[in-house]
Amino acid sequence: MTIDIPFMWTAFKEIIKALPVTMMLTLIPLFVGFFIGIVVALIRVYKVKGLLAIANGYVSFLRGTPIIMHVMLIYFGFPLLIDAVAAKLGISVQTQLIPISTFVLTALSLSAGAYLSEVIRSGILSIPKGQVEAAYSVGMNTFQTMVRIILPQALAQSIPNFTNIFVGFLHTSSIAFLVSQKELTGAANIVASTNLKFLEAYIAAGIIYWLVTILVEGLSSLVEKRATSYMRGGVR
Amino acid sequence: MGKAFDITLVGEFLPQLVQYLGVTLQILAVSTVFGIVIGIAAAIPRLFRIPILSQLVVVYVSFIRGTPILIQLFLIFYGVPALFLLFDIDLTRMDPLYFVMITYSLSNGAVFSEIFRGAIQAIDYGQTEAAYSVGMSDSQTFFRIIIPQAIGIAFPNMANCIISSLKDTSLAFTIGVMDMVGRGETLIASTAHALEVYISLSIIYYIVVLVLEKLFRLFEKRVNRYKPDVVSSA
Repeated sequence: MTIDIPFMWTAFKEIIKALPVTMMLTLIPLFVGFFIGIVVALIRVYKVKGLLAIANGYVSFLRGTPIIMHVMLIYFGFPLLIDAVAAKLGISVQTQLIPISTFVLTALSLSAGAYLSEVIRSGILSIPKGQVEAAYSVGMNTFQTMVRIILPQALAQSIPNFTNIFVGFLHTSSIAFLVSQKELTGAANIVASTNLKFLEAYIAAGIIYWLVTILVEGLSSLVEKRATSYMRGGVR
Repeated sequence: MGKAFDITLVGEFLPQLVQYLGVTLQILAVSTVFGIVIGIAAAIPRLFRIPILSQLVVVYVSFIRGTPILIQLFLIFYGVPALFLLFDIDLTRMDPLYFVMITYSLSNGAVFSEIFRGAIQAIDYGQTEAAYSVGMSDSQTFFRIIIPQAIGIAFPNMANCIISSLKDTSLAFTIGVMDMVGRGETLIASTAHALEVYISLSIIYYIVVLVLEKLFRLFEKRVNRYKPDVVSSA
């Protein structure tokens, strides 16, 4: 077996068509997860009674189990749950008709929420208390302090962590192929098995992931420079 | 998912799956040990700015951190036998377990090398100067002064890396390894109770992660015992 370089280019062109699916499986969970993350982080920072235990359990469990487990649990569990609820309410829902990507997106959003909540929480905790006191002293209420003073600084400081999570979820979206999603890895798998050229197809897929990662990291360092320009120290 | 959900099956599956926890932990242990070796070897060229080698390490680390572990698994699984075939060595009958170990060792090695480099560079140069001023040699300085402090800095990151690599081992079944998830897949094939199997697997992974976290926290306290407690004024 020798490596067929020209076929790698063919495979590359074929596989890159699946990039939008991978981006969708990355961006939507991160977007939804961001809001889950903020809510969970605030619950844990303010130690909201009753919800704190749920939030702690959510973050701990989802960070303590592989993401493939979340995908599988939702993929197999949700249809059963929906069927049971539908039977109780007396409505007929055809769970087979729900696209698989819905389950994948739900699972990835929940995992992203857990990981992002830790990033946001550590960002909030890194803001010195003097900032809060200063905001209170000019008459802001707790909500204004959080939205105008703490969160902007916390999120700006967390950009490197957000990038890590973004890249991590870009790579995690590859497990969606295990539930037959045709994203980058799924497409590579199809190209590989129809042409029986496994190595070439996976090299091509690896290069695509690598390029996207480098691009994302480059963009994030630009954004970080802009977002943290307020704390560049004494020299401007 | 042809059959009704039966929670009692979780209790039946748990002991069957736990028997394969050893395989998962074996992958984790081997890949951590080799990862540390590779990590040290890869950190040296960058720390001492050895030309060519350090650029190679940059590409290696960037590639590992830029591609999903699943793709790396497939690349090693199909790539290593192809490489050895050039020397007329047939590896196609080799146990996939070894390919998994190679992949996770390489993957951990890249992450560890960055952690080690960061930890050693985080040590204040004044420490080295102080060591020289009391008459220590280069190697004494490195092993008695720099390394013990660097371990304290590197350890929490390494612990995170080991835990995430434990979770990554759940993908080993994709190339046909009989680990916990692999055994789970066969259970699903024979009983058609997928959800119960995945619930059992999640429970096992969660417990292992919790135990590892606890152990690492104890070890971290021991490593950092010479450091005074940081008392925050806020």
